[in-house]
Amino acid sequence: MAYKELIKNFQHVRDYMRRFYIYGFKSRSEYDGKSGRSYDDERRRIESWLKDYMGFRNTDEGKNVFISIDSRRQPHNPLYKAMKARSFTDRDITLHFIIFDILYRPSDAFTLAELMDRINDIYLADFSQPVTFDESTLRKKLKEYIALGMVIAEKQGRNVLYRRSESYDLTGLADVLDYFSEIAPCGVIGSFMLDKTPPHRDNFTFKHHYITQAMDSQVLYRLFGAISRRRKVEITFTSRGSSRAHTGQVTPLKIFISCQNGRQYLMAADSKGIISAYRLDYILSVRETITDEDFAGLRTHLNEMEKYIWGANVRPDSKTEKVTFTVDFTEDEEFIWRRLVREKRCGTVTLISPGRAQFTATVYDSREMIPWIRSFICRISHIEFENKELQASFLQDIEDMYRMYGLEE
Amino acid sequence: MIFNEIFSVYYSTVSCIITAALKGKLTDREIMEIIRENAFEESLLTIMPSLKNGRWQLLKKDNSTPLYHSPEIPLSNMEKRWLNAIAADRRIQLFGVEIPTFPDVPPLFTSEDYRIFDSYGDGDNYSDPLYISNFRTVLKAIQEQAPLKIHMISRSGEVMCKKVMPHHLEYSEKDDKFRLITTGGHYETVINMGRVLYCERYRGDFVIYPAQPQDKLRCAELEIQDERNALERVMLHFAHFEKQAEKTGENTYRMKVFYDKDDETEMVIRVLSFGPFVKATGPDRFTTLVIDRLKQQKAMGLHRQK
Repeated sequence: MAYKELIKNFQHVRDYMRRFYIYGFKSRSEYDGKSGRSYDDERRRIESWLKDYMGFRNTDEGKNVFISIDSRRQPHNPLYKAMKARSFTDRDITLHFIIFDILYRPSDAFTLAELMDRINDIYLADFSQPVTFDESTLRKKLKEYIALGMVIAEKQGRNVLYRRSESYDLTGLADVLDYFSEIAPCGVIGSFMLDKTPPHRDNFTFKHHYITQAMDSQVLYRLFGAISRRRKVEITFTSRGSSRAHTGQVTPLKIFISCQNGRQYLMAADSKGIISAYRLDYILSVRETITDEDFAGLRTHLNEMEKYIWGANVRPDSKTEKVTFTVDFTEDEEFIWRRLVREKRCGTVTLISPGRAQFTATVYDSREMIPWIRSFICRISHIEFENKELQASFLQDIEDMYRMYGLEE
Repeated sequence: MIFNEIFSVYYSTVSCIITAALKGKLTDREIMEIIRENAFEESLLTIMPSLKNGRWQLLKKDNSTPLYHSPEIPLSNMEKRWLNAIAADRRIQLFGVEIPTFPDVPPLFTSEDYRIFDSYGDGDNYSDPLYISNFRTVLKAIQEQAPLKIHMISRSGEVMCKKVMPHHLEYSEKDDKFRLITTGGHYETVINMGRVLYCERYRGDFVIYPAQPQDKLRCAELEIQDERNALERVMLHFAHFEKQAEKTGENTYRMKVFYDKDDETEMVIRVLSFGPFVKATGPDRFTTLVIDRLKQQKAMGLHRQK
């Protein structure tokens, strides 16, 4: 099939974009399971959408393609562009603009036959070979717009009248949309609305801004829909290190989002009520099924569990582990105390003596805390993990670091 | 639903072309210019012929349009639901604008439906009336590019006053703070909005100095050992920086990360957080910062706990 810039299904390109953006060191031959043609097409597409952010490097293994974006210097998430590349037919686009031109005012209401007449007699009359639309095509298109909430169908006697739903002037919301389209969940929806506002100055930028979430917007949108309707979902997902897809029925309860690495997790209960975390970037599809009458109880249970969740990991047996460590600081290093207080999450911090603070937390998975604890390296005077295996591993890692930099005894 | 052609770049580009056609005689060159400005790199090859050869019957031979109005597409339920959701966000009041709400559709999400679990606990106080008032004054001054007189508390706790030209606001989700980035002085300055006591439009003479080139970008060279999923964690963690990565061995990778020099301490901490799986290999100045911390840690004798 000939190459096209637009695509029908986002899933395939989602995978490539993630690889180009997050890894960016793989050559064409390393894209396992993908044909060379498929790789070339996806690369060309992504390059067309994100040309300013694409880079290439020649290595012994071949040419490496990567996406490199300093998100602090971008007022708008460039990856949203990929969400705006859906393909369509010639009839789709022609009908789209003509329908909303006929239904220009919310008070303008027409029957299907009247719409047909106007399209053929007024809009297409000047074309030498006008497109022909039959009633069923038009009815189908109107039905789509009704489902999207953009057209309203009203019965008047034996006729159905179609009119547009109300429009809103978004001009005054430019700053609101600029800001929330970057920081709110499903921000790409704000970006769609920004496309309808006049050009304006960008008054916001974003630091520590993880933009990869854009690629999971469709999955997140469906999950929010199911959560708001208290429905169960059937999800298809892969796991780390495996491309094999699994399917499971779960009750989605809440989305956990990390602003320190950009990962998003679905917290969901299985049929036995056991709550687990599923990474959104591993979820391939979401299909709503039946209402879960126990939703409120399951969510209350999750809210209770949150007191013991450091990141997103939970344990099916609800067993917790205690972690305690102390950090030392001098009189003019008060900022360390403030750092502990602001970063403690579900833990507690106490000043046990001048210049010595103690952090304590009881969590399901103390392994999740290790990167944060390591960030206090140079000040840790004592550490105690209830999980002794982890304690040994933590101390061994510290020794390995000394060795790595030539600091061994 | 999110991935729908009605939100596509092609549709919005065609919308711009129709608007331009309604304003007066439109040349092929002008159409091409609109496509280049609004669409993707290769879109010209599709949009232009589709409009010109009548596959999309929205432009006539003379580039006029059979449409009567500049396209105005109603909001979808999805957009209304998202607006309902952000209308309930505590930060919306900072903007001082009326957000349309849509009682016929539920919000897409509420604060109960998601949780950002690792943002810091000392974020700005968005419900403080003084903070809200200062934020609005600053945002208006940015929009109008007008100078400001700002009374604030310095890092050392002293009250001080600055006259600045506001440029933009920077928001950090991790810190949950807004910072005002200013220009007009010899150097760009950063003011934490949480430290602002009071601000007002400055009506006096304001001298704008030409910006001095600032060499703020630094590079850290790192070596990654892909154990315990370190590679993926590192790549995700540093994803928001401009970076270059390459494979150097069976399980080893080299990465260059470009960061702002003001964030060097944060960068050192972030590298240390990966333990023995990420080694700082250069430049010497950066490596020394990492090693110094390890030396201090070693002197504390923690390893003897083993």
